[in-house]
Amino acid sequence: MAFVLPRAAVVPSLPLKARLTPLAFQLQARSRNVSARRTIISSAASPATEPEPERLHKPQPSRRKPLSAEQKKYLDKALRVNQAGELAATLIYTAQMPPINKAYPHLRPLMKHMYDQEAGHFKKFNELLAKHRIRPTAMYPLWQAAATFLGWSTAAMGREAAMACTEAVETEIGEHYNGQVRELLTWMTDMENRGEEVGEELRLLIEDIRRIRDEELEHLDHAVQNDAKEANPYELLTGVIRTGCRGAIWVSEKV
Amino acid sequence: MSLTPLALRNVLRTPASLRPLLLQSPRACYHSYEHTQPPPYRDADAAILSSALTYVPAQGFTQEALTLGAKDAGYLDISTNLFPKGAFELVKYHLVTQRLGLKDRIQFPDEKMGVGRKVRSLVLERLRANADTGVVNRWQEALALMSLAENIPTSLRELSALSDEIWFLAGDVSVDTSWYTKRASLSGIYAATEIYQTTDQSTDFKDTEQFLDRRLEELRVMGGAVGNTLEWVGFQGGALVNLMRSKGVRI
Repeated sequence: MAFVLPRAAVVPSLPLKARLTPLAFQLQARSRNVSARRTIISSAASPATEPEPERLHKPQPSRRKPLSAEQKKYLDKALRVNQAGELAATLIYTAQMPPINKAYPHLRPLMKHMYDQEAGHFKKFNELLAKHRIRPTAMYPLWQAAATFLGWSTAAMGREAAMACTEAVETEIGEHYNGQVRELLTWMTDMENRGEEVGEELRLLIEDIRRIRDEELEHLDHAVQNDAKEANPYELLTGVIRTGCRGAIWVSEKV
Repeated sequence: MSLTPLALRNVLRTPASLRPLLLQSPRACYHSYEHTQPPPYRDADAAILSSALTYVPAQGFTQEALTLGAKDAGYLDISTNLFPKGAFELVKYHLVTQRLGLKDRIQFPDEKMGVGRKVRSLVLERLRANADTGVVNRWQEALALMSLAENIPTSLRELSALSDEIWFLAGDVSVDTSWYTKRASLSGIYAATEIYQTTDQSTDFKDTEQFLDRRLEELRVMGGAVGNTLEWVGFQGGALVNLMRSKGVRI
């Protein structure tokens, strides 16, 4: 056992008598270890002695990265095209309704229902464009004129042609929205895999586009039920309209 | 982007890791409220340029102001090589920071104010910012720099971005053709008023305010006339179609 003689005047680097015999040193070390080990909890200890950090129960704050330039450009183009599409849809129905409703009054509720849904979509995309400061397509007046002409001419050709026009437009629009939903869902899974927060904005956007796509496909079904396929120059009419839609989508993305 | 010799030189001067930054189009895109963008200037650039702006009233928009600013911010004189366009970068920094700071300078608690009045207040506030930062006496130099051929695209982009910002802050939610006409007309009015302000010696820029009011009044009258004419044409066309339908023509 070592003891220290107090030496106030001189400050030695090591206390006097601190030099222990090897055996004494080992015994001292062993006793020190035992007292330290008394605070270590072995795995067989009871759960009551488990440490309970707060971090375990609170969800970790997730990171939120800014959107990349490509993502912003994609959203910009997608929403611009969507707004242009809904503008065209509302104008097609507005132009089709007077002649069709006059000749086939039983179609009035259906046409009104489809028009109301399209007007709701148009309003939604207008709000999104204003909120996210996206510019609308510069071809707006041209699409207004083209959509009105398309609606009026197919209605003049008859009920079946009007329904075929609806079928063609809704097929193209449905595919277009499908692609967008798939792309945005890919982003969402990528973000979640990287541990980044997706955010309400993106989530709500995906839900909105999904809902709108479902309603457009419902219009497609209505159109087919109402003898869209009976239209006389069916292949030609739907071919022309679908090609026109694809061209309009391509132009609205750029301009 | 087409590679002129000057652009190629700038690309090769940029460190390889930063070259992707040059490709970013500064044109405004989808604006996210949750995934916010990083600030437009890096810390070092912002420090040098902001301290250089304090020297502009004395030195003007010149390379000397940049050098003094760099020294003031604690960087070497050679740091001004970060700015290949020299004094124009100082002008651009002022334009960008004032545009982004506009929403902090002015808020509209009173919801009854119309969009037109809000636009007027925002334009005046932005012009006041020119005066507050002490830049208005040297702004003619800045306009000269902005009108150089190599700087015109950037200047026009900044002007249209400012116009978009003002309409957005004023609460404009139209997204049809008027989106373009409103921004184009406001860009013209703002540019004219800013030039007028550089020659304005009245107290508190009262003459500039009246100039702006006259331009906005002209815009209102012109826009109203064009809109009413188009509406009339639309009504005539619709009336003609309905008349023919009532006579039994199948259209």
